[in-house]
Amino acid sequence: MMDRLYALYMREAKRIFRSVYMWIMLISQPVMWLIFFGSSFSGVPKQVLISFFHTDNYIAFILPGELAISMLFVGMFSSMSLIQDKRFGYLKRVLITPTPKYDVFLAKVLGGMTRGLIQAPILLAVSVVLGVRMNLTPLSIGVLFLSLAFVGIGFSSLYSIFTLKTADWQAPGVISNLINLPLMFSSTALFPKAFFPSWLKLISDVNPLTYAAELNRGMLLYNDPSWNYLLYLAVFALVMLSLGSVLTNKFLYAE
Amino acid sequence: MYSIETRDLTKKYGDFVAVDHISFTVKRGEIFGLLGPNGAGKTTTIKMLTGLTPPTEGDALVAGFSIVRNPIEVKSRIGWISSEVILDDDLTGWENLEIQARLTGVKNWKERATELLKYFGILEFKDRKAGKFSTGMRKKLEIAMALLNSPEVIFMDEPTIGLDVNTRATMWNLIRQINKDYEVTVLLTTHYMEEADSLCNRLGIINKGRIIAMDTPEELKNKYGGDVIEIELKPGAKLNVSLENTQVTDSRVRIRVNNAESALMDVIRAVGGDNIKGIRVNKSSLDVVFINLTGGTMEEQEFDARRFYAMIRRARR
Repeated sequence: MMDRLYALYMREAKRIFRSVYMWIMLISQPVMWLIFFGSSFSGVPKQVLISFFHTDNYIAFILPGELAISMLFVGMFSSMSLIQDKRFGYLKRVLITPTPKYDVFLAKVLGGMTRGLIQAPILLAVSVVLGVRMNLTPLSIGVLFLSLAFVGIGFSSLYSIFTLKTADWQAPGVISNLINLPLMFSSTALFPKAFFPSWLKLISDVNPLTYAAELNRGMLLYNDPSWNYLLYLAVFALVMLSLGSVLTNKFLYAE
Repeated sequence: MYSIETRDLTKKYGDFVAVDHISFTVKRGEIFGLLGPNGAGKTTTIKMLTGLTPPTEGDALVAGFSIVRNPIEVKSRIGWISSEVILDDDLTGWENLEIQARLTGVKNWKERATELLKYFGILEFKDRKAGKFSTGMRKKLEIAMALLNSPEVIFMDEPTIGLDVNTRATMWNLIRQINKDYEVTVLLTTHYMEEADSLCNRLGIINKGRIIAMDTPEELKNKYGGDVIEIELKPGAKLNVSLENTQVTDSRVRIRVNNAESALMDVIRAVGGDNIKGIRVNKSSLDVVFINLTGGTMEEQEFDARRFYAMIRRARR
């Protein structure tokens, strides 16, 4: 049973690890965020930073947020991989075997999650080099990766659900345009919500990115995580995964 | 014993009937061909028989199981070779085989894969990326993948399309060989007459979603063969002839005769030498069978293909 999912997942993983461009993308994008965006507040007086961000280093503030955002952004690649398989007919090859359709979906989602998780150690290492001090213990690192896996699974599922029925190359780009920016800016990944208007706060309070950013901020910076947030992320991942599996069985066709 | 048994198999896309109540049987160990122009319904038939798309009406037994009620059982007993070679080009030949083996649930796949690669003479290339394989090697790898699960039936959708003459001949030999060595029933589609003629034990001629004739190539030629004299008319030619076995289109007259050489002069006299722009003689072959059955050549029938795909696209929306 697991053999089929394993085979399809290994295919995704090998394709990721063997692509030079993928590595350039995976390393450069989050690092550029940290260095360029993270440095934009470096001249702000310390008292202002502390009262506003509760830390004297803005890079430390956005690191947990950026980790969560990078899991959102990779969701697009699950869609792209699925569309590529439709375009090149590979999905036909798979669906002519006794493989259930939801295995195809699960493999794409786990592939997207893997892609995102590769970025986490890179981001942590760069932050340490940039002078961020964090509470890094086996527990905190374990929880960090677990929570990021949940975010990755949730958003990769969401992306794949949106593009289940299309074989249009353009679709993932359009979906990412509609999902990424609103979710990123309505979360507390980049800024605290103290100055958000009330409608934005409403979105922020259900946005999984907020929960991931706050959970890991609490854990990495203050050693005081809110475990409920981890639960929220687990539920988010599970709901998206189940919904996607059901919809895939119903709506996925080979071309 | 039949490997394939279809009953009124039908597929509709909206109002368009792609496959129209076809019924045929394929015996175990046969090489059976579906011959017809593009858009005749060949690929759609294969899609239904491999469980890729459910039929709108009717049913079929493949390897003893219903494609409607037991598609999973069917899928684990068949192999499939696409018209465009479908591999993962970023993975090696061996990795492609591994995925296929796990998806079809083959135990001891490594022994089987090694044996098949040896059989096709590509074992030494197993760790090369599939994208770097030559076209012939890619086809061989694809056939090896289709044989991994020791299928009862292999479906080949236009197996030699896009191959040069030499590679095509090699493919024909390969298909005959695996049919014999692995005792696998083969259902293939083609629009090459000579391919159907040389390869298939039996043949169904399919046009506009219907099987219009089915028999061995020899019997088909006996029944519907004969020579065809085809006359291209000058523009504005006036005809007042009524010959037997004649079809007249805008600029063309086709006449079926027993022996073209002896009938030619009579035909020219009847049509009138002044009306004739050119003459072509088709000696008895499957080409002639097709012309006699459908009233047109494959090329002429293919004009429907564009309309066919446009309708499918519309129906899907």
